[in-house]
Amino acid sequence: MILTQLDLAPDELRRHTGWELKPEGLCKDERCVLLPSDARTDGRLDMTVVADCLGMPLVHDERHEIWSLGPECGDHVLTSAELPAIVLEDVDGRPFDLASLRGEKVLNAAWASW
Amino acid sequence: MALPVWRQLRTELHPEGLEIVTVALDLEVDAARSWIERSSAEHPQLVDTAHKLDEMLGILNVPTALWVDEDGMIVRPPHTAAVERYDFSKLKAPEGLPDDLEAHIRDMLEQVKRIPRFDADHYVAALRDWVGHGASSRYALAPEDVLRRSAPRSRAVAEAAAEFDLGQHLHHAGYVEDARTHFRAAHRLQPENWTYKRNAWELVSPGLQGPTAFYDGDWLADIKAAGPENYYAAPDF
Repeated sequence: MILTQLDLAPDELRRHTGWELKPEGLCKDERCVLLPSDARTDGRLDMTVVADCLGMPLVHDERHEIWSLGPECGDHVLTSAELPAIVLEDVDGRPFDLASLRGEKVLNAAWASW
Repeated sequence: MALPVWRQLRTELHPEGLEIVTVALDLEVDAARSWIERSSAEHPQLVDTAHKLDEMLGILNVPTALWVDEDGMIVRPPHTAAVERYDFSKLKAPEGLPDDLEAHIRDMLEQVKRIPRFDADHYVAALRDWVGHGASSRYALAPEDVLRRSAPRSRAVAEAAAEFDLGQHLHHAGYVEDARTHFRAAHRLQPENWTYKRNAWELVSPGLQGPTAFYDGDWLADIKAAGPENYYAAPDF
């Protein structure tokens, strides 16, 4: 996800990454990661600390003063067999939520014009 | 390009309970538009201009497919979609081109002919078996096997995703040159990801995908280095 500043509301982190702030730390699925005391200021998360704790790369573009928070590294890309929340658009910009196909078997096929 | 095949399979298997969703991994929606509009498919045809599926699902080349059951559980993680592809081996370099360009295209076609073609009949038979038998199909994997077969994600792979994300963001914001710095970094961090490379090469060298002064590699040089036999991972069915 692209960040324009290094502090982030917990809700935004949850919406983009699935990691939710709870009393015990940041949690996703069955996992919880403790956060050090310096990770939170005025209810917002310091993403340099959070990225470090979650094993996510934080890449900076100095010229545009933006950051990209990458996915958490680990053994495999998928940490759950449940299809992650994915909303994409058609060529006319209409959003389509893959979760709307629950109840049917689905073959998702990635291709490209190149 | 496999779009007509997906349309045929959808016509056959939709009455049996299968939906097909195609996703174009094109950064530019207009690059995919004419293919999509010409396909006259009835299934959802989407575009991933932010290129998020690589990061979320682990996709390294196209065509790649994954199978998802009625409960939203992945039963086949991303794999080479071994459906019938256009037979590029019949292609010839057009006549009348400058010698160096003709030689380059001839060289590309030689590599294309050496990319393995997988057993499309077997793949489609496996798909039909899963559509017919669901969880009891031998081709539907248990969750632990899905996770085990999902692509590895090292620190470098995670960083490549972050770099490509910065690249696509800047590209779409109009900072085309600044985007290339991050595309280059993604290529260096995850050289086995052909979608990161082909997307970036296509923007500066449509069709040929290089060689170009903007990137260290290009399609021809990179497939020679990797070996055309390694261009697609063999589907394990």
